Amino acid sequence: MSAPDDERPPSPYDRRTTVILRTVTRLVVPVTLMTAVALLLQGHNLPGGGFIGGVLTVTALVLVYVVFGGSYLGETLGASGGLVAGYRALFAAGLGVALVSGLVPLVLGGRFLTQAVFFVEHLPLYGELEVATALAFDLGVYFTVVGALLVVVAEVGAE
Amino acid sequence: MALSVGCVVAPPLSQTAAVVALPFVGALLVPLAVRVAAERAGYAAAAVALVCLGLVTDLWRRGVHGTVSAEWIPTLDVAFALHVDGLALLISFLASGVGVLVFTYSAGYMHGEPGLAKYYAVLLAFMGSMLGVALAGDLVALFVFWELTSITSFLLIGHYSDRDSSVRAARKSLVITVAGGLFMLVGFLLLAWAAGQGGEPTYVIAALVDRAPELRATLGDVGLFVPTLLLVAVGAATKSAQVPAHIWLPDAMEAPTPVSAFLHSATMVKAGVYLVGRLRPLFLPAEASLVGAWTLVLAALGLLTMTVCAVLAVQATDVKELLAYSTASHLGLIVAGFGFAEAAGAEAGAFHVLNHAAFKAALFLVAGIVAHEAGTRRIAELSGLRHDLPITAAVATVACLSMAGLPPFAGFYSKEFLFDAAYETAHAVGGAAWLFPVVAVVGSVFTFLYSIRFAALFYGDRPDALGTVHSPPAAMLAPAVLLGGLVLAVTAAPQAFVDGLIGSTYGATVPGEAGGFSVPAPTKLSPPLVMSAITIAAGAVSYRGYGRLHDGLGGLLAARPALRANYWYDGAMASLPWLSIRTTPAVQTGLLRSYASMAVGATAVLALAGYVAAGVALPVPPGLGPGVTAAMAVVAVVAAVAAVAVVRAPSHVAGVLTLSILGSMLAVLYVLVDAPDLALTQLVVETLVLVLFLLVLHRLPAFYGEIGTARAVRDGALSLVVGATVAATVLVTTAADPNDVLATTLSERAGLPAEHGPVLVDWGGGGNVVNVVLVDFRGIDTLGEITVVAVAALAVLTLIRMRDRGETP
Repeated sequence: MSAPDDERPPSPYDRRTTVILRTVTRLVVPVTLMTAVALLLQGHNLPGGGFIGGVLTVTALVLVYVVFGGSYLGETLGASGGLVAGYRALFAAGLGVALVSGLVPLVLGGRFLTQAVFFVEHLPLYGELEVATALAFDLGVYFTVVGALLVVVAEVGAE
Repeated sequence: MALSVGCVVAPPLSQTAAVVALPFVGALLVPLAVRVAAERAGYAAAAVALVCLGLVTDLWRRGVHGTVSAEWIPTLDVAFALHVDGLALLISFLASGVGVLVFTYSAGYMHGEPGLAKYYAVLLAFMGSMLGVALAGDLVALFVFWELTSITSFLLIGHYSDRDSSVRAARKSLVITVAGGLFMLVGFLLLAWAAGQGGEPTYVIAALVDRAPELRATLGDVGLFVPTLLLVAVGAATKSAQVPAHIWLPDAMEAPTPVSAFLHSATMVKAGVYLVGRLRPLFLPAEASLVGAWTLVLAALGLLTMTVCAVLAVQATDVKELLAYSTASHLGLIVAGFGFAEAAGAEAGAFHVLNHAAFKAALFLVAGIVAHEAGTRRIAELSGLRHDLPITAAVATVACLSMAGLPPFAGFYSKEFLFDAAYETAHAVGGAAWLFPVVAVVGSVFTFLYSIRFAALFYGDRPDALGTVHSPPAAMLAPAVLLGGLVLAVTAAPQAFVDGLIGSTYGATVPGEAGGFSVPAPTKLSPPLVMSAITIAAGAVSYRGYGRLHDGLGGLLAARPALRANYWYDGAMASLPWLSIRTTPAVQTGLLRSYASMAVGATAVLALAGYVAAGVALPVPPGLGPGVTAAMAVVAVVAAVAAVAVVRAPSHVAGVLTLSILGSMLAVLYVLVDAPDLALTQLVVETLVLVLFLLVLHRLPAFYGEIGTARAVRDGALSLVVGATVAATVLVTTAADPNDVLATTLSERAGLPAEHGPVLVDWGGGGNVVNVVLVDFRGIDTLGEITVVAVAALAVLTLIRMRDRGETP
């Protein structure tokens, strides 16, 4: 596996992927992302959770990286060049969300990271909806994992 | 000046805490003040000190005495206690009162200097720390404030951070005082341990002092009494610049002169003698023999310091150097005073704390004026300054005569008490104890010599080489005059000061009840008076040979550097880089594999040693139980085969792929043992790792190199040890079955109760126990883990970005 001749390719793989791989990726990535979000949201009652959802999201995006090259994602999202800064902000925000979700109970007189479950009754269609504050914490976990892993992938991939 | 003894008021927590907290609040606001008022910010800082002084005065006026405490770290029996008594008030008066003067003086002295915000902020923080040391009622709070004074002192000595000598001096003071503080901490822990043996463990000093006999017995029984005493004494000695740790104090004169006056004469160096006084009733029994461990350690140390540093002061060539050695010498006098079991000793210590602070702070301010206006601090170049600085000369003369211990000045009385204690001890014990009074007199002769030499700067002929000497600004002169006035006030009415404050200071340093003492008028010929007469006569006679003495001592020290403690300090400091250079190549090889071997090897050794130390028996697995199915066995075998294949893989691609087989087999195993969450995580992570490997694969060499047999054997052995450790850990941890309490509690509490209200706090409310444990029951663990993930990402970012900037190889 030798590097292409030009000076510094965005990724050594982008020009060597096949039509099949690219087409499959286009189909698979949205499904994977949906699955990841589903895993995140259902985590409280079924297998899943913030960490698994986060890693799966990263896997889907890494697939985009490998198949379409490092700059594709940035160009598509309109954040060319500053993507790593965005990832950094993402994991910082994730940590912040997790921390704040732990601090809120302190203000309300509970202990750090106490989680509660609220039941919203008499909703149209749903009837009763169960809302766990743990979801906020899980969202923090999700964003931290996604942001941190993408930083690693983007930085290592750019090497 | 009357203290209403008998009507004791408990200290109000808020007011006492405010004394300590105000300077810190002020320190935070200083940058703002400097921006608004520029150089006049010094007056704002002086106002803060004045408020503290007012609060302390109010505490004193109301006769407040006792300890208040607030909860701090209850699980470690640590309280945040504040204690007010005579000793605490005296040191607080010095810290806040001299603080007012020094801040005012700084407004003039620091004219046009850079870094004013840093200077005033740190100086205020120092004042708060010092007030904290004085008022701390428990050992932990005392230690924290103690180290804070070391750190602020470090910053102030290194104020001119672009000067090499400042940086070296700051580092020296930090190394010595903080190291001493750590010894002291161990001593404190031993005291608290002793308190815990016979009752409630506590760090509160008043409670420890109440139980002093019991603590001494407990420590004595296990042979730890003298070690504890020594540990605490090391802390006090390093802070108060006792021999041989005195070497940091002359170097500390690199600091701006107001700092020297404040920290290195009046307050911070008093922390050590304060500690000696504070813990004196703890270590010294009321019915003590005259020469016990306490006296042997502290009186000897103090007298030695007093004499050695007085001799060194005589050979000093710089005004501030002379004052620095003289400070160490007088601190030795105070330590020696507290060291004697005689009542007169503690009287000497308590009284001299006040006297020394007054005359020495005045002299430092005088030195600052001289350096500022005459442009030099070299003793040889200064003479006849009274023509240019008449008021300064008067202040210096009064302060020097008090320092020399000449009657009727204030310093005379405290020295008399010391002579009295030394003589009485020697008289009662006899033999080698006669060294005490002899050394005390010798030290005092040298003290007399350099005191007169300092005063002589202002008399005699004015040398032509001395340029124009300006009059100092009022902001610099007024504080010096005020301190000179204080010396005169104590001189005029020593008994009033004793009745007002020093008596209760003395009371705080003696075991049992004591509340005051009287200052005897020198009317009849007593042994101490004779000793004073000898001192003055010998001093007056030998002053004629001061020049030869000064040169001779300087020459001796230059010829025999090993006589100086600095020689040993410099040697020790120089050997540190040498040691580092010798050991680094062995530890830091730059090879990832050796770091990995060290990390996993150390982990394995520590874990195994832990099991052995705790005497954990390795549980024998009960064979393949009924839970193991044929499918599991097949998966496990495939995983084992894949593991072997990873090691034997001829290339990276093959290695990565076989590793992924191993990971996937583990995921299948998780599915088979009904752990869907684990299986999901394993699969997703496995996929991600595979993709990441693909990203970096082209960077690695295509083939593994050949490895030697020795390394293969060594690495194989290490792998086996690590594998065995993990296996043992799994067996040990899973064998400890907490009666299913944990499992049942978790699974019961994770879900929903049959009946519930609109809000649930005690229940997880989720069907997935694993997730409820992660986000709810053990949420703080998860928070820690995602922090680790974020930090790892930051580390990757930093390493790669730094390489681009050429900061790493």
